[in-house]
Amino acid sequence: MGIELLTGILLACILITFALGAPVGLALGGIAMGVGYMTWGDGLFNVIPTTLEDTHFSFILLAIPLYIYMGQLLTRSGIGDAMFNASQLIIGKVRGSLAISVIVVCSMIGAMVGIIGAGIMTSGSIALRPMLERGYDKRLALGVIMAGGGLGILIPPSIPMIMFASATQNSVGRMFIGALVPAAISIVCLIAYVVITCKLNPKKAPLDPPPEVEPTVKEKLLTARDGGLALLLIVAVLGSIIMGIATPTESGAIGVVGAILLAIFFKRFKVRMVKNAGMQAAMLVSVAMWIIFGATVFSNFHLLMGVQNMVASFTQDLGLPPMMVIIMFQIIMLLLGFIIDEFIIVLMCAPIFTPIAVSLGFDPIWFGVLMILNIEIAVQTPPYGFALFYLKGIAPPGITMLDIYRSVTPFVLIKLMVLIIVMFNPDLVTWLPNLVMN
Amino acid sequence: ADHNWRFANLYGRGTAFGEVYEDLAKNIETMSDGRIKVQVLYSGEGVGTSGILGAVKTGLVTMGAPFQSMHAGELPAGVVEIGLPGGTDDAGDLLTLFHERGWDEVLTKAYGSQGLVWLDPYIQPPVYIITKKPINSVEDFKGLKIRAPGAYGKFLRNLGASPVSLAWSEIYTSLSTGVIDGSIGSNMIDHRDGNHVEVAKYMYRLPLAGAQVLPIIVNNKAWNKLTPDLKAIVKAATTVHAQEQLVKSRKWESEAVAEMEAKGLQWSPEPSAADKEAWAAAGAGLWDEYAAADPYSKELIEILRAEK
Amino acid sequence: MLQSAIRRYCLAVHALVALIGKSVSLVMPALAFVVAFEVFSRYFLNKPTIWAYDLSLFMFGYIAALGGAYAQQRRAHINVDILYNKVPPRVRSVFNILSFILAIFFMAIVLQMSIGKFEEAIEFNYRRQSEWAPHMHHYWIMMAVASVLLILQLSSDVLEEAVHLVTGKHIIDRSEYEEETVE
Ligand code: NA
Ligand code: NA
Repeated sequence: MGIELLTGILLACILITFALGAPVGLALGGIAMGVGYMTWGDGLFNVIPTTLEDTHFSFILLAIPLYIYMGQLLTRSGIGDAMFNASQLIIGKVRGSLAISVIVVCSMIGAMVGIIGAGIMTSGSIALRPMLERGYDKRLALGVIMAGGGLGILIPPSIPMIMFASATQNSVGRMFIGALVPAAISIVCLIAYVVITCKLNPKKAPLDPPPEVEPTVKEKLLTARDGGLALLLIVAVLGSIIMGIATPTESGAIGVVGAILLAIFFKRFKVRMVKNAGMQAAMLVSVAMWIIFGATVFSNFHLLMGVQNMVASFTQDLGLPPMMVIIMFQIIMLLLGFIIDEFIIVLMCAPIFTPIAVSLGFDPIWFGVLMILNIEIAVQTPPYGFALFYLKGIAPPGITMLDIYRSVTPFVLIKLMVLIIVMFNPDLVTWLPNLVMN
Repeated sequence: ADHNWRFANLYGRGTAFGEVYEDLAKNIETMSDGRIKVQVLYSGEGVGTSGILGAVKTGLVTMGAPFQSMHAGELPAGVVEIGLPGGTDDAGDLLTLFHERGWDEVLTKAYGSQGLVWLDPYIQPPVYIITKKPINSVEDFKGLKIRAPGAYGKFLRNLGASPVSLAWSEIYTSLSTGVIDGSIGSNMIDHRDGNHVEVAKYMYRLPLAGAQVLPIIVNNKAWNKLTPDLKAIVKAATTVHAQEQLVKSRKWESEAVAEMEAKGLQWSPEPSAADKEAWAAAGAGLWDEYAAADPYSKELIEILRAEK
Repeated sequence: MLQSAIRRYCLAVHALVALIGKSVSLVMPALAFVVAFEVFSRYFLNKPTIWAYDLSLFMFGYIAALGGAYAQQRRAHINVDILYNKVPPRVRSVFNILSFILAIFFMAIVLQMSIGKFEEAIEFNYRRQSEWAPHMHHYWIMMAVASVLLILQLSSDVLEEAVHLVTGKHIIDRSEYEEETVE
């Protein structure tokens, strides 16, 4: 069977099992094994042990349990709320202020983590409930978490950027710095969207009702202190990375310890809380890892059958004008995002596409940042995308996948807009690294 | 084609080394007149670098170019094969060791015991340590935190350093923030590709391990399906491959060094006789330990000892 | 008669899976502690451990794998519920039966491969490639246990859905799970 036909069959199987509402990870594994048995034989089953070892013994993915646990502790001890309460003290009169605070907090979390899963699941743990409780439109709330959490790979440190730089022999430093302006543009656009959409449709983000008794100065100070301390935790975790105490992966453990210390300080510490947070975190970790495992079994099967060669041969001799080639690459990566995860897209596409882009006269760092922007979109476009799955995992029971699909639309459009702006203005990427590093 | 093979290697698509493996695949195809077709799988394309040995063993991929340190827990003799710290970097000596002193026989047995056919090994450049601070004498390694897995870690501990375990993709960030003071790279090209020189400038002159010897392995069942002439063809192709590796890896190593020097890489001063002695002593201490841990390692190390 | 036998089976499976699912969550704080200890030991004592790296990865793998059956019991595994939410309850049972059988098929292969790897790990004394070099065999036993638990839970869910399909009644009250959801 040709790889094109096989790809078609696999896609069809995905759509069928998605329609049936099957557990995504187990279904992807099942599809790969079933189709693989018919095309390859039972020898393919041997993909399971190596894939298990790759997913469970990945030190990079270890950020997922640590950050999820930190997020659960923050929300269960009320520290997360304290942070948002304090922000309401300052900008509470602005409609959509909580969503704006969430974007800011997500950006800070983005500066700690280097992978998408940890970003979304931490932000979701801390920030989803406060927004839903205050009556925010659930689509706005979900979309903000998804868009903000996705910034984890655009704001340094970023594992996909390190992978890109190494696969194409470019500077990681240049790439980290080059991504800063596009990251800032993304953050500004996201905040602008929140402000505008809340102006146009005030129901999306109700203002807090005025309190019956105006809080005293002392109460205000206490709120500010609690919020400040909570913010200090984030600063401490960031600081532990910058000061070389911990790696980005390990910093999640610093966050866990910090959250427990803060809870003790706030007199909110209970053994039960630590245990319950552990229970919820363990469940979320397991859910995330079974998806990652099943999806990796699936993509490993697809790669062993040679999908990467299909992409490589398709992109040779496109015979298009340079900018069209770049656009074509973006479309291919978006399509790959339907079936493949963030790391594999980089591993597979960076070495195939970048030399072509460079030979057409484009800057490789700019192209790499485009790729990261693209991956951010690819993982949150329906029907298949890790960011979507992570968000569903962290969302309360009433939230359906359809809510999530709908919630991402405006945010995907914003990110697409940023992608296009950066695509046609390479200076946005190249200016800062040239300024700093030359 | 009569035989459809998958060949997994540990380099990324588009890297210089990747092309050498691609050449090996093409050579097997042309020399066998298309009777064997070889699909090359680069790092991460279906099999992770730490899964290559297992994947060839089960036949998930037919042929593999593994990096033995990643399989130290599965096939300990591989760590002796690649070269224990302090080993020689003389290609001639190594070839004698493998082809005349009997390492090939021991390794054929060792790999054979796990259902693998061991083909002509090839030589890759040595392992060096890059650090954030200059190393003027071996003493300066004391207390440094250096990312160095397995045997390299033990070697550095003998020198008074503290080995650290980290994922490869965290080396850059960790060097830049100072979580670690230095890191080994599997060779100079690895240091270059990892951009380590952006965040650490000093390279120590003595290689941690001399030239590294890596095998090409084939799944036993797939191998036995080949006719004798096809077996000969695959063997001949791996011999050509070993040549190409030797020539090109030297060229690429010097290119990588030149590129890093252009970015500010500095070499440590020439080590003193005492330094060299301390270096050798740190490596020799490991021989007994490795010989005791595994029967095949023991045979290899006995041959090594007899030579001295 | 048959129904009550099925119900007893399902309840027994639920109890076992819940016990293991809840126990493994205790590893969570321990995992954070191990990683934090490594950071402390490396930065403040200048003495990185040789065991924290592998130990934390093992703990991660145990949490990830063993929690799978409990997540299935809570129906917490992520699914795309667009059509699923729109069909009548009995059709949904058919959907579930099909999905869960596919999942059982996958898990049966994972089980078979894990047992194979366990035997290999014993035969060749497989260890991690690190300096600490801990054994691998317990990991593969754990994977086999995790697979069996998932298969048991999935089989219980298939039976439960089959009863619902035939009788229109639920033999297990899932509302208690909603309430029990940890606060
Ligand atoms: Na980041
Ligand atoms: Na997608």
